[in-house]
Amino acid sequence: MTAAPAPAVDPVRSAELAQLGLSWQPSGQAALRGPLLRLAEECDRAFVTLAGIWQADEERHPASLPAERLQRVDYLRSFPHQATFAARLAPEEPNLDAFLDGPVLDEGGTIAVTELAPVSQVLTPAACYHVFSDHLGESFDGPRYLTTRNTCFRHERYYVPLRRLSSFTMREVVCLGTSAEIVDFLQRARAALDAFFELVDLPLEWLTATDPFFRPRANPRYIMQRVEPVKHEATYGGDLAIASINRHHDHFGVNFELTRGGEPTHSGCVAFGIERWLFAITDRHGTDPAGWPRLEDAATKVRSSLGGGRT
Amino acid sequence: MRSEQEIRDSLRSWVLTKAADRDSAAITDQTALFEERYLRSVHLPELLLLLERLRGAPIDVEDLNPGDFRDIDSMVLRFGNAGATP
Repeated sequence: MTAAPAPAVDPVRSAELAQLGLSWQPSGQAALRGPLLRLAEECDRAFVTLAGIWQADEERHPASLPAERLQRVDYLRSFPHQATFAARLAPEEPNLDAFLDGPVLDEGGTIAVTELAPVSQVLTPAACYHVFSDHLGESFDGPRYLTTRNTCFRHERYYVPLRRLSSFTMREVVCLGTSAEIVDFLQRARAALDAFFELVDLPLEWLTATDPFFRPRANPRYIMQRVEPVKHEATYGGDLAIASINRHHDHFGVNFELTRGGEPTHSGCVAFGIERWLFAITDRHGTDPAGWPRLEDAATKVRSSLGGGRT
Repeated sequence: MRSEQEIRDSLRSWVLTKAADRDSAAITDQTALFEERYLRSVHLPELLLLLERLRGAPIDVEDLNPGDFRDIDSMVLRFGNAGATP
């Protein structure tokens, strides 16, 4: 994938975000501190509170996962342009000596690698892949609700502060169940999000979307997503997806051998891109933290109104 | 040009070959083929080629809309009229 120039960023807004605690690297990484970090953490607590609607169990996963696991769903052929690998030098001493005898780093900031060890780990592309991989081969006797947060990595053509990052934070709530249970989960999730958006005064539009497949026209899964929409994004300002609800059918159940009553499990997930929420909230409610909505309170109200327990 | 009935019959036959392990009597022209997992994404390229052959005109993937492949009725309605622009 070739790089592309990033769209122009309003310098006044950039300065305001820096004041709030955003430290931005043009290579697509954001460091947070101060008010923006506190807002990011409050966003995440609010999403965990919403996950409480289903009493979802929290899981924590590592930063990478085995390529062999991801390839069970053909990730590397579907998204080769976005994949980021965990690479290491081959550990043999002569190779390490050769590395040290070289420049180590060239003037352009590129590591002058010698021989690399076999690359077998992919940095997390989406938080929920870990859930399916980590429960490989399990059988379930009822619906299972899980939530997890991870730093996710995607190579993009350009990066924009708080909108398009090479590493970003994703919170997900995942349901493993029957087809009917997934439909119910996603309907309730959408209702919960609509109520939440209203309480925190964020105008969002639900748009049908497809995953960013490489050469999509040649990919059956892209064609499938066009004719049988499975992804709906809550979109701020016409073009910024800050949350999505996704129906996987039995795609992960089949490929990760997850079963329910002898049949492949169905699954669905709700995903939140936390840095994008920071953009949306500061764009909608301004850069004075006193004007920001009380996210946890709103999430608690939504959870209470939807029963706060499994159905 | 194939008649609508010929297209319908060809689609039925093709679907049945892909869902050979399922109860064929349960598949009607209104059965949601992908929703009920009679067909999967892996079948789509072949289905597109079949529809292009039956209608005698190419189909642009970017012109596809939600529901176009929902069931046999939907496919006949959308692609059955040979020469119509999808």
